[in-house]
Amino acid sequence: MVLELARARPVWQIMFSTHHTDVGLLYLIFSLLAMFVGGAMAIALRLELFAPGAQVIGDAMDFNRLFTAHGTTMIFLFLLPSASAVGNYLVPIMVRYKDMAYPKLNAIAFWLIPPGAALVWLGMADFGWYANPPYSVISAPAPAAEMWIFGLKLLGVSSILGSINFIVTILKCKHPDMSIGKVPLLAWSFLSSSIIVLAAMPTFAAALLMLLTDRLGASGFFNPAVGGDPIAYSHLFWFTFHPEVYVLVIPAIGMMYEIIPRFSRRPIFSHSSGVAAFVILSIVAFASWAHHMFATGMSFTEKTVFMVGTLAAVPASAMHVFNFLATMWNGRIKFATPMMWAVGGIALFFAAGAGGVVNTAMPLDFITHDSYWVVGHFHLFVFGTIAFGTIGFVYYLFPYVTGRMYNEKLGVVHFILAFVGACITFFTQHILGLFGMPRRIYDYPDIPEWVAMNALISIGAMIILVGMVIFLGNLIYSTAKGKPANMEDPFGLGGKYYYPYEQRNPHH
Amino acid sequence: MAHSNWAEWIYVAVVVALLVYVGAEAWNIERIIDHAPEDAEIIKVTAQQWFWSFEHEDGTKEVGELHLKKDHAYKFELESKDVIHNFNIPEYVVLLDAVPGRINTVWFSPTEAGEFDIQCREYCGLIHYNMRAKLFVEGA
Amino acid sequence: MRTIFGLLIIIATLCIIPTLELVFASETPGEYIDRKAEIWNLFFRMMTVAFVVGGVIAGTMVWQVWRFRESNPHAKRTPYEEGEL
Repeated sequence: MVLELARARPVWQIMFSTHHTDVGLLYLIFSLLAMFVGGAMAIALRLELFAPGAQVIGDAMDFNRLFTAHGTTMIFLFLLPSASAVGNYLVPIMVRYKDMAYPKLNAIAFWLIPPGAALVWLGMADFGWYANPPYSVISAPAPAAEMWIFGLKLLGVSSILGSINFIVTILKCKHPDMSIGKVPLLAWSFLSSSIIVLAAMPTFAAALLMLLTDRLGASGFFNPAVGGDPIAYSHLFWFTFHPEVYVLVIPAIGMMYEIIPRFSRRPIFSHSSGVAAFVILSIVAFASWAHHMFATGMSFTEKTVFMVGTLAAVPASAMHVFNFLATMWNGRIKFATPMMWAVGGIALFFAAGAGGVVNTAMPLDFITHDSYWVVGHFHLFVFGTIAFGTIGFVYYLFPYVTGRMYNEKLGVVHFILAFVGACITFFTQHILGLFGMPRRIYDYPDIPEWVAMNALISIGAMIILVGMVIFLGNLIYSTAKGKPANMEDPFGLGGKYYYPYEQRNPHH
Repeated sequence: MAHSNWAEWIYVAVVVALLVYVGAEAWNIERIIDHAPEDAEIIKVTAQQWFWSFEHEDGTKEVGELHLKKDHAYKFELESKDVIHNFNIPEYVVLLDAVPGRINTVWFSPTEAGEFDIQCREYCGLIHYNMRAKLFVEGA
Repeated sequence: MRTIFGLLIIIATLCIIPTLELVFASETPGEYIDRKAEIWNLFFRMMTVAFVVGGVIAGTMVWQVWRFRESNPHAKRTPYEEGEL
């Protein structure tokens, strides 16, 4: 296995490299940096919302800019690049090829991200990551809005280039002896998510361009004052971003497919069921976008169609949960840090999905739309499932990347703080939403239930913060001074570090 | 690959059955609450940055507050003068976007007298957080 | 037998009774559908389903994680492992 940091290499060598492990390392470092930046923004938001009145943020506009930057950072600068990090490291190895199909394009895809991030972070637009018109056209201040638009253009192109690379690598460069059905599930997860990106992202690219020309006054796509329709943007945006949430979750599920069988010392219960579930999810992901628009004044029939489309995606996710549980059954499970994160992630995945089913029941959307229920719901997905899977996988990859072991006790403490913090923060947000608190608000009236719950949520966020600080310390210290890992079997699982199902399995 | 998978099929069947139940119930309730009664009084609601104004059928105008009568049916015609807002009376689960360029309608009948909050539920800029109004339901 | 009876009670409460209620409720002028009540009623029924299913899944996971952890005295080698326990 390639050891990245066991022998110091010049930084410029890594930065100019096109080798998949180097590009993977660049993605990994950037995405973790963005995670901490986005997390700091969240802490600022929660400190402000701790009680009614101004706390740490004096101006509503600053608050609005912060939540926009927080959402944009976490989705585009943390979750998507961290998935690319894992994919870049492992997809070529899993399909037994020497590198990604287009190594130079791979490096370009990464290097589009820092300028995109700079535009987003220096601009600090205020319209939420949704950027919906007419507000984003007629009311959002310049140059923040234009910088956000250009930043997202770059990030979208990066995503598309990365997806092309994954698809070609997996489909065309896989080893001749490997049939597509035998490709490991983590690689399948990258194939699925990349195909979704290719189909969905161009729609948003068009919408961004239209938003820009509208802002410049050169067009009237979304501005009713000149004959446009703001709801058209909503359709374009959600046509991309509903499938996009599956692009976020599918690699995390793939990462759990690596961790759970390995640490249960059993192969995955049903590889073909996992493949089928990824394929079904990729297709059905496109059938549900307008469930985000139930409050815009859609007709009853339209809403019904999208409710059915949303519900249709649930069985595929349920298949993954079944697969994980059935894999652990009769195993001999080592609960090292990566496994804890993966199992905790499955538990929160179910809770997130259940909340989503409630949202899509059309009349219930009148209770939950644009309230803190939605905030709690999607955070259970992006933090509780995707970040949990990702962070668990970062721990898992740590010995592979650095040649050293992280501190296991600190990893366990990090998990416990994150899990407890996530439950306190995000489950309480569901209830706060039921009590009617809207999202994206800088301040709130002195309603006793709101005050109590906001305080509790902020405390939960601080608990997560403590865990993340420990994580940062663990990462930095262990990279520099951690104990050298046993590269044959860093976690003491028995069997080889990678792909026990590469060996001839006497029972299959 | 050859091991028996019957448990998974049953599990998927149960999941699908539950989802069909959820979908059917939701469809039914939506169908019931969708039809505004014919005798509902029409109230024009105008949303703009950052306050609510109302106009009753008889021409009475109110700004920042709305006076209704208990057990009467009211149909809100929502419009916006600038950006998308969302008219929300959380207590009565009234919620619908006010989109510039179109008129959205939602109806309800207040069952209790009292004072209730009206708020905006779609980000609309600087004072979105304080785009509030008061609903007064008078009744006997 | 008892589980089937329990299941039937739950199904009756969640499906049949609300349906009958809706079908047989009559509306007179001056008496309108109580939007708030209908929606929250649906919500609580959905919550019941969600928590029952969630309880089953979470309960299964908790039991599994306890029973199949490697430090459990009953833990045995999986058929896919070689060598000493």
